[in-house]
Amino acid sequence: METSTLLGLYRDMWLIRAFEQGLEREFEKGNVPGMLHTGLGQEATQAALAWHLKATDTFFPDHRCHGINALAQQRHGGDGERVMAELFGKATGVCSGKGGSLHSADPAVGNFGDNAVEGSYMATVLGVALAAKMRGQPNVACAIIGDGTVGRGEFHESLNMAAIWDLPVLYACINNGYAISMPVGEGHASADIVDMVQGYGFSSQQVDGNDIVEAWTAVSSAVEHIRSGAGPYFLEFKTWRWQGIFAGEFRPEAEVKYWKEERDPIMLAGETLAGRGVAPNDLEAVEQEMTGLIEEWIAFALESPEPDPAKATADVYVGWEVDSR
Amino acid sequence: MTAADTATPKRTARTPRKARDRVRKVAFTRALNDALDLAMAKHDEMFVIGEDIAEMGGDFGVTKGLLAKYGPERVRDTPLSEAAIIGTCAGAAMVGMRPVAEIMFADFIAECYDQVVNNVAKLHYMFDGQFKAPLVIRTACGGGFGGGPHHSQSVEGWFLNVPGIVIVAPSNPIDAKGLLLASIDSDDPVLFLEHKALYRSRAEVPPEYYTTPLGAAAIAREGTDVTVVAAMRMVPMALDAAAKAADDGISVEVVDLRTIRPYDAATVLASASKTGRVVVANEAPRIGGLGAELSARISEECFSQLRGPVVRVDGLDTPIPFSVPLEDIVLPGTDDIAAAIATAAQY
Repeated sequence: METSTLLGLYRDMWLIRAFEQGLEREFEKGNVPGMLHTGLGQEATQAALAWHLKATDTFFPDHRCHGINALAQQRHGGDGERVMAELFGKATGVCSGKGGSLHSADPAVGNFGDNAVEGSYMATVLGVALAAKMRGQPNVACAIIGDGTVGRGEFHESLNMAAIWDLPVLYACINNGYAISMPVGEGHASADIVDMVQGYGFSSQQVDGNDIVEAWTAVSSAVEHIRSGAGPYFLEFKTWRWQGIFAGEFRPEAEVKYWKEERDPIMLAGETLAGRGVAPNDLEAVEQEMTGLIEEWIAFALESPEPDPAKATADVYVGWEVDSR
Repeated sequence: MTAADTATPKRTARTPRKARDRVRKVAFTRALNDALDLAMAKHDEMFVIGEDIAEMGGDFGVTKGLLAKYGPERVRDTPLSEAAIIGTCAGAAMVGMRPVAEIMFADFIAECYDQVVNNVAKLHYMFDGQFKAPLVIRTACGGGFGGGPHHSQSVEGWFLNVPGIVIVAPSNPIDAKGLLLASIDSDDPVLFLEHKALYRSRAEVPPEYYTTPLGAAAIAREGTDVTVVAAMRMVPMALDAAAKAADDGISVEVVDLRTIRPYDAATVLASASKTGRVVVANEAPRIGGLGAELSARISEECFSQLRGPVVRVDGLDTPIPFSVPLEDIVLPGTDDIAAAIATAAQY
């Protein structure tokens, strides 16, 4: 990988980290309604996916994908601040505040929205892929899922149908070791998801999700494979989430220390860049620039108005109005 | 339509009148098949998808012949994966396709309930109008043939509490065709209920393309003393009961809802106000069902015009048993509607 590319990915990862850390702070202050799932620690997978997906592709982001939503805006001419404003439930959000963290979509940049029922869009992604195939478009339809989704029936229905129909689906499974509190090896027949996928007979690969170069290279090959019409591809990214569970940290101290201090994807990329002669000041400048940008987005979200009350009853149906109180 | 359905004038002239009528009458299933055919010719972006719908033509023959005409890309068999079928429709609709799914029996919708309720019905709203879900879910519902607990249910009640979904429920072949064509044209997601007991009913169905408006009830019979509000198989039963009541000097108006959600409140309330006596007939269990909604709405909005309480005819509060005599006990029939009309007429 060229140093300029790696530096670009380093920026992208910092954007995600700054976004999530800023969001966490505002959540604790009570400025962000609902629930919060952050992608801290998983920045490399999201940066790698965002890099290779075009605006004409489609991705279904998971609960921890605020970062990829923001990157898609940046890469495809949108407004990252509107992703932030959506999380604050504001009128300026990508869904005018009606979707929030778990239902943020913006088809203009390929973001087809999370679905708070984990695994539901494993079925939806089939339709987007089928339409692309029927129309002869070289588009990739990507479902970003966690390891917990492997337990859902739709996970298996989707892999089966993508296989029999040779659909252009990229399955990006971010295996962070736990489905809320359930360790991946206890919840599934295998802790290595690719082992379970192999029976469906299409290409799959397990990659180090904290190594940006490996993740980026794997996504590049998978996307190329799919665009060539060779059918679906399953990528499993082995990674680890920094956020504990709602009640706090439950994982062994040594495990937390290892992942945060030795396997931080941004730190690892920074070391590689330093090894290639990028000055420490230049790396620090990236962090500061991204943190500054995110503070602007947060200010924008805080200053934005609440949604128009008419939005409460708008768009239930296309063909009918719904009564207001 | 094929040549067999559209006799030439010359041949018609030679055909005795009764036989000619028989030729021109089309079964409910055939009317639906005709609608799918016409819609696929009209909409390039339409495809049909489901279990055993291609070569086999569906469990009830509704998709018969479409594979030969439109090919396997647009007439797509699937494995037993109801959630994936509806998810596929949702995703395709999000990018502008116009899919029509067949869920073989309405009871199986439980397998894709999440897709319908949390995805299809909500995606236009929760994503702030950025997506539409112009898809149709056709499914065979209703009892009366010894299908047992998992092949006989009336499922409209499962979806009445779900904003965003349209529920269409024809009672005759002419409406079935027009409503299906309107459902396919609609940019809202439609749950299209086909009562199995109506599949063999026949009528003179116009061969050409036409639509019957969604959200509009029909007055199936005009009357002045009692209103019966019904849908699907309850409509022909209500018409039979109305004919019997006429012998007793009771004039019954039958309102065929045709669309159950959003339903045509104006027509229902106007009829209720006119007669002041109302029966609501519904095959599903009583609690939380269509009858409960209609009864509540009519009571709220027509209270001063009503001469007595709204009378409900429903299925019993049980699953549907396999034994046909037991099923007869559980499901409402013409006699139940006739008794309800008699009760209402006394107010």
